[in-house]
Amino acid sequence: MTTRTDSAGTRATSPAGARTNVPPPQPGGRLDRLAAPLAPRATAARVAGGVVTVVGAYLPWVTFVLNRGPYPEKASLQFFVAPFGVTGFRLHLVLFGLAAIVLALVAVPARGRILRGLAWGVIAVSVLNGLYIAVQGGGLGAITASDGAVAFGAIVALVGGVLLLLGAHAGGIEPRPEWRRQLNPWVERGVLLLAYLALLFVVAAVLTSGGQGGAANPFSGAVFLSFLGALGGFFAALHASGLLTWITALSERHRLFSVLVLLVVALALPLTPAGTEYWMTVAANIGVYAATAIGLNIVVGLAGLLDLGYVAFLGIGAIVAANLSGAGAARFDIALPFPVVMIICAVVAGIFGAIVGSPTLRVRGDYLAIVTLAFGEIFVRSAQNNIGGLTGGSNAIPGIPQVELFGTRFSDRIAVGGLRLPAGVLYYVLIVLIVALVMLVFSHLKESRLGRAWIAIREDEDAARAMGIRTGPIKILAFLTGATLAGFAGAFFAHKTGTVSYESFRFTESVTLLAAVVLGGMGTVPGAVLGAALLFTLPEKLREFADYRLLLFGIALVLIMRFRPQGLVPDRHRRAELAHDPADDHLVEGTSGRDTGPTPRTEVPA
Amino acid sequence: MLTTFLSQIVNGLILGSLIGLIALGYTMVYGIIQLINFAHGEIFMVGAYGGLAVFTYLLPTFVQQQWYLALPLLLVVGAAVSTAVGVLLERFAYRPLRGAPKLAPLITALGVSVALQELIRNFYPGATAALPFPRVFVQGTVEVPVPGGTVPLRWTGLLIIVVSLVLAYALSSFVSNSRMGRAMRAVSQDPDTARLMGVDTDRIIVLTFVLGAVLAGVAGILYGTDLGFINSDIGLQNGLFAFTAAVLGGIGNLKGAVVGGIVIGLVKTLGGQYLPGGTAYDYVWIFVVLIAVLVFRPQGFFGESERVRA
Repeated sequence: MTTRTDSAGTRATSPAGARTNVPPPQPGGRLDRLAAPLAPRATAARVAGGVVTVVGAYLPWVTFVLNRGPYPEKASLQFFVAPFGVTGFRLHLVLFGLAAIVLALVAVPARGRILRGLAWGVIAVSVLNGLYIAVQGGGLGAITASDGAVAFGAIVALVGGVLLLLGAHAGGIEPRPEWRRQLNPWVERGVLLLAYLALLFVVAAVLTSGGQGGAANPFSGAVFLSFLGALGGFFAALHASGLLTWITALSERHRLFSVLVLLVVALALPLTPAGTEYWMTVAANIGVYAATAIGLNIVVGLAGLLDLGYVAFLGIGAIVAANLSGAGAARFDIALPFPVVMIICAVVAGIFGAIVGSPTLRVRGDYLAIVTLAFGEIFVRSAQNNIGGLTGGSNAIPGIPQVELFGTRFSDRIAVGGLRLPAGVLYYVLIVLIVALVMLVFSHLKESRLGRAWIAIREDEDAARAMGIRTGPIKILAFLTGATLAGFAGAFFAHKTGTVSYESFRFTESVTLLAAVVLGGMGTVPGAVLGAALLFTLPEKLREFADYRLLLFGIALVLIMRFRPQGLVPDRHRRAELAHDPADDHLVEGTSGRDTGPTPRTEVPA
Repeated sequence: MLTTFLSQIVNGLILGSLIGLIALGYTMVYGIIQLINFAHGEIFMVGAYGGLAVFTYLLPTFVQQQWYLALPLLLVVGAAVSTAVGVLLERFAYRPLRGAPKLAPLITALGVSVALQELIRNFYPGATAALPFPRVFVQGTVEVPVPGGTVPLRWTGLLIIVVSLVLAYALSSFVSNSRMGRAMRAVSQDPDTARLMGVDTDRIIVLTFVLGAVLAGVAGILYGTDLGFINSDIGLQNGLFAFTAAVLGGIGNLKGAVVGGIVIGLVKTLGGQYLPGGTAYDYVWIFVVLIAVLVFRPQGFFGESERVRA
């Protein structure tokens, strides 16, 4: 978690801001200019924006029968059911609109900034729903007028959002207020507890919003995206008020308490509406990738060594686990208890990690990325060819038995006391514990001597060496540690999914993991978890766009890099990749043409 | 025995010169802006599909039937489509990120690569499966006599080798002799100084992308003509090979790219023939060679040894 490191702060301290061809990631300047004529009537614009938003919310959005929809009759009002039975985007828009009107009239610190967050939320909700209706619901006619009724709710709401945004900018965007108040420690803990419970609620709502994707529920993707948009606006507004910063500061003051409460809160997810077998499985899968992403974060985020074949370690863990599980297709006819298997997987993956990492002794930067990519490809090819009869080849290794401890199979539904818990809840608990362990390892390593050595290597390897850091072994150690963590996750993965196939460990998966780390924010734990959660939930939710999943993913990568390269949760201390090191600026020693010319060999803080 | 060996050499040379052609684009872009343009393989793929689209939907039948009319046309079209995509990418994906953290353009490139591949797969009619590509060249093989038999040489293979070598030579003389080529070299050595000397660096970078894309587009058409079908994932696969080739030869080095491509081609065909595991493992050998070269000669065949910065 960061305290005061918002995007503007990071950028202001970095020399990158001085470069002309780095675009400002937020179009603040242009919007300010655009809103300037409105400045004398900023309050009026804000109120008008709020009113128009509310009106837009209550206008009809669709005027024809949506085939297969939950409302087979003329769906003039609402076309999907929102999380927890609340009436979806309409409710969000009304709340946002009313909040905007109140904020426009009542003097609250940083209200312009808060309004800006709300405005973006309104815009996101109206654009997403409008687009969805137009594209999936039968063309532009659906959002304008047809059937005698006028259905331009989406357009009116969008106008409201834009008005709000301009009004917010016209009145000026204040700096984010800082809450310095110290309360009674127990009151502070109470606040934290409430905040974490709210977080639990939000996580459950995000998971369940839109329901299960797939043919039976064609609106799930739209509902989910719309909810995400609203949530984004909501959190932007909260952040603008300084509340999130304050809570982050509180959580750092009561660190142990926060960690324990978060763990309990995470374990309480099965008690929320997300507590069904399906969501437990989704959450467990997210957990696997989150744990792996944290492992990758050690290699990429801390030590600055770009790894493009990282998913191989997850695969190695999974394959080892599959072979030791007693599955019919396994190479060895033994079934070891799960904890033992896990440790073996971690060790084997760690050994491979050291092997893959050993070229770091001689290879740097982009070249290292290529070496790791090569190792990843070798792994996939070998697994595809069923090397040594270990991987099952294209038949995969099916029928891996469920984890069993004390006579309870982890896939069974269990009851604690009078509470009936969904099937798969034990897997969920297990993966939460694994992720917690991985997080613990990561955060302790990060603050340790070793972690500081990694960061030093990332910042400047030669300087680090000059300071007496033995860079070689320490770089290999980064690979080893990261791979070990992935191996753990792999063992879990094998048993949870029951089938291990080389197809789960292709280059695309490595890219997705890397994207998760970068999207979340490199070098931070919450970042990796958030990134993994987003990148592995979206495909689950956007089932009806199954064909376009990868396409959207590719476009999303490009957009993220363009507009928020520092990630959602940027690391306070990490500057190497973001702050532009002027020494790295020249494209040193490169010729494109002459074969007599020297080769570009810049060491890259990749 | 000898005939098998020689025909695998021939196959290796054909594949290798094709890969070398793609590798030139990688190596030039890396030399100029130090970006691993992962999307370059996709530019190659898009060129092939562009040619296929024009051939299928635009060309009148009599042109389709005459290869000496159709082939040059397709080569031009492929190059044009690839160039358009390459220039758009440079302008809208990479240029905004110039000066951004190193990882940002790399991940952008990966994203662009995925997106382009999926665009074609989803929106080109029938591209979810392999599509037949017109064989717009003389079909059949010529039997080259060698001691102990004959070695078959495909005419299309010969075409690939000749076109690749000619283009590579043309490119290298352009870069070393022309005014623009000198500007390119200047930018790759030091963009800031080059700018001070009056070189329009933005234009030079676009030029680099254009040159690379033209070669990739031509390679795409040649690939389709030789194999007779194309797939939406040919870009990823061949792009990876080509990148490997560029690294092998010493990235930033034109001669190295071609030599690296030929080495890759030979390793693939000969490894598939003679090494344990057969063709199922030929990819593995390519990457093993890559790792070995990078570890023992990180600068590649033709690169100069690393100058460690203080």
